[in-house]
Amino acid sequence: MQALKRSLEIVKSSPTLFILLLGFGLFPIYTSITDLPFWNDIAMRIMLLGMAALGLNLILGFGGMVSFGHAAFIGIGAYSVGISQFYGIDNGWLHILFALLFCAVVGLAIGFLALRTKGIYFIMITLAFAQMLYFFFVSLEVFGGDDGMGVDRAEFLIIDLWDPLRLYYLIWMALFAVCLLLLLIINSRFGVILQGIKDNESRIEAMGLSALRFKIIAYVLSAAVCGLAGALFANWQEYVSPDIMHWSRSGELMIVIILGGLSYIAGPLIGAIVFFLLEEFLPELLFFIAPNYSENWMIIFGPMLIAVVLFTKGGLMAIFHQIYLRLTRRQGTT
Amino acid sequence: MTKVILELKDISKSYGALRATHKLNLSVNKGDVHALIGPNGAGKTTLIKQIYGSEQPDSGQILLNGELINNTSPSVRVRKGIGRSFQISNVLLGFTVLQNALVAELARKGEAFRFFEPAFSNPSLLSGAHDILQGVGLLHQAEKLAAEISHGERRLLELALAIATNPKLLLLDEPMAGAGAEESRHITSIIKSLKSQHATLLIEHDMDAVFKLADRITVLVEGETIASGTPDEISNNSAVRKAYLGDGD
Amino acid sequence: MTITLLLEQVFNGIQSGVTLFLVAAGLTLILGIMDLVFLAHGAQVMIGAYAATGFTLLTGNFYLGIFLAIPLTFASGYLLEYLIIRHLYKRDHMEQVLATFGLILFFNELIRIGFGPAALFSNLPPSLSGFVYILPETPYPAFRLIVIFVGLALAISIYILVAKTRMGAMVRAGAANPDMTAALGVNIHMLRRFIFSVGASLAGVAGMMLAPLTVVEPGMGEPLLILSLVVIIIGGIGSVRGAFIAAVLVGLVDTIGRVFLPEMLRAFMDQSAADGAGPALASMMIYILMAVILVFKPTGLFPPKG
Repeated sequence: MQALKRSLEIVKSSPTLFILLLGFGLFPIYTSITDLPFWNDIAMRIMLLGMAALGLNLILGFGGMVSFGHAAFIGIGAYSVGISQFYGIDNGWLHILFALLFCAVVGLAIGFLALRTKGIYFIMITLAFAQMLYFFFVSLEVFGGDDGMGVDRAEFLIIDLWDPLRLYYLIWMALFAVCLLLLLIINSRFGVILQGIKDNESRIEAMGLSALRFKIIAYVLSAAVCGLAGALFANWQEYVSPDIMHWSRSGELMIVIILGGLSYIAGPLIGAIVFFLLEEFLPELLFFIAPNYSENWMIIFGPMLIAVVLFTKGGLMAIFHQIYLRLTRRQGTT
Repeated sequence: MTKVILELKDISKSYGALRATHKLNLSVNKGDVHALIGPNGAGKTTLIKQIYGSEQPDSGQILLNGELINNTSPSVRVRKGIGRSFQISNVLLGFTVLQNALVAELARKGEAFRFFEPAFSNPSLLSGAHDILQGVGLLHQAEKLAAEISHGERRLLELALAIATNPKLLLLDEPMAGAGAEESRHITSIIKSLKSQHATLLIEHDMDAVFKLADRITVLVEGETIASGTPDEISNNSAVRKAYLGDGD
Repeated sequence: MTITLLLEQVFNGIQSGVTLFLVAAGLTLILGIMDLVFLAHGAQVMIGAYAATGFTLLTGNFYLGIFLAIPLTFASGYLLEYLIIRHLYKRDHMEQVLATFGLILFFNELIRIGFGPAALFSNLPPSLSGFVYILPETPYPAFRLIVIFVGLALAISIYILVAKTRMGAMVRAGAANPDMTAALGVNIHMLRRFIFSVGASLAGVAGMMLAPLTVVEPGMGEPLLILSLVVIIIGGIGSVRGAFIAAVLVGLVDTIGRVFLPEMLRAFMDQSAADGAGPALASMMIYILMAVILVFKPTGLFPPKG
């Protein structure tokens, strides 16, 4: 009873998130009716990017720690799958366990060192550690080095993933679990202190709490979520290479978060959806205006990012929120 | 019978050529308000920082309840019983007034490290938080964001948060700074009414408040004590009058 | 491993170090004085390289190309600050990352549209493509030597500008305490725009000097951006002197590591594996260096002081 009440509370605390999750859950029905299975693939990519961004946003949006190196954890998660298979371990659950474990351990080490610094120094030291890992995997010739390595879709005991739809729902369930976990944490005592640290670290310290401990734990959690996304990503792409941990991927994660709105739990997921829709449709749109330049859609996307920063406060979710408030107010008065 | 809560022995600190604190000795008893006065740049806030732990003295000992606390971090010292208010209001601006008190209550009870327990719906936490706000008369503003209340009210919240951890030693760095006359009187009366529960070290520029509150006054000039005694002794001390209070006043 | 080879690599290291310094010098002030995370500084390098190469092709004269390109990079920095960057100072770091990331995408695509996606090659005039004997029997490319001299000359000029002039005093005050400069009555807007434009020109010059040594292509400045961020962090944000020392350090570690690590690895593994892993491990070394320095000195080697 208590648990049910609590779950309801959680769903109510972020309706947008659960509407999105429901949407993703029902999406394959739509694609099978319209016979557009290609879109399932896009939806999986969105869910994976969204999952990683949700993980990063635990520290970025709710803890105020601007990590510019979280793609490294996606990479560690993905390589956990590839390297396990290389050594003959085919069980998908074990892969995920390894991904979580490695990310947590590496996250703990990096967090312990990096969280002593603040501001721009923190941004840069997280970038440096990510670059270190990037070049580490480039140097591992055994696992393909620069070229990466192929990955077979793993066996999850009774569930094997020969049918892409099974992978789809595996990713969906993982995303659902991550959302629930993050919502619980953000509303928990730990989460509130974490947000307090973002607001004013020195006051939290003055209350007798060691901010560093909270920050390190949040950092490790967010690394593990990115690792989970990475492990599933390896299954989706059937291929791992150092490219997924390139610094521009870390930038992409941040873009997704800020685009959606970093102080909203659903923000990263919205950001991921919009990011992919733009990637899909901007070239087509450009084709109508200037057919020769449809490949150069970045020339529009770049300035759009700048516009989001200059003209919105708090990303797309903030805009939706404003519109929602205006609509409900109008209804209230008439 | 008086109990010494804070004892400073030969504390010195300098920043390069600048001497912030020089061979300073000072003690604060339970139930007393000990005021630190002195001109700007006398090293008052630097001293508070060294007691609080955000700065380390170059030499000397800091004893809290007889225990040496020199090499501990601020959060550890707070857990050992130091509460601090800051010169510039240092509250959680994005949180409501009630949430500020709730976080303080969570911290005091040591129940912050829970990952799934909801933060703000526990009845015992809520009643604790209400008590904190009641104590300074801020309950009517509980639901407002700390960023939206008046400056004087924020000074009250700052004071409430410093007291919330039930400190043995309360460090107050200009608690009335920027507050209006009415609010200053209110803050003075709160400090006075609570002073029996802990030892208080007070920095304040408002001399009326200092002489109303203080049991002892120490006058600092350039990091050194030039006089220390009861308010009467200080106001009659010619060296102090000359150096600081100004004769004509 | 011969002395000749070592000497050659030391020169290469210094050459890449001073180039790195030209990129880092402006960026460290942008980060330090303006507290701005500016990721598009690599685009300035690219603009410089394309401008010089473009003008060279247009005029048929390498020197004229560079002569025309320098004011262009200054103007591009000035314009960029005026149009976009000045609106970002008050924003938080994440928003700055997003906006300047957007700028990278924009500039790369603009270059791709203007010059095509393929790399350009910039040929040196015959007068610069010879060799100079730095030791008897040790020839060294003349142009690389010129790069070293130009880099050092610019480094000295920047040092004099920052250490000896009134403008430099403002810059130093700004790096140590951004709020104070405004309080002192310095026109902070002009100061920022000036630093930004000079920083852009220096990065542009780095691009011009790199153009004949590497390929000129969209996104060419990004590896340099990441390296110069490392340099800035090691040197201490806002410190030009720190940036110089760190740049030479990073240049030497990177260059020498690239050559000698594979050789050392060959002792443990077969040649192809060593040749594959060596450069990557050398790249890792720079970041390990940075992490070690930050663990012991969290604000870099030479943090600016007030």
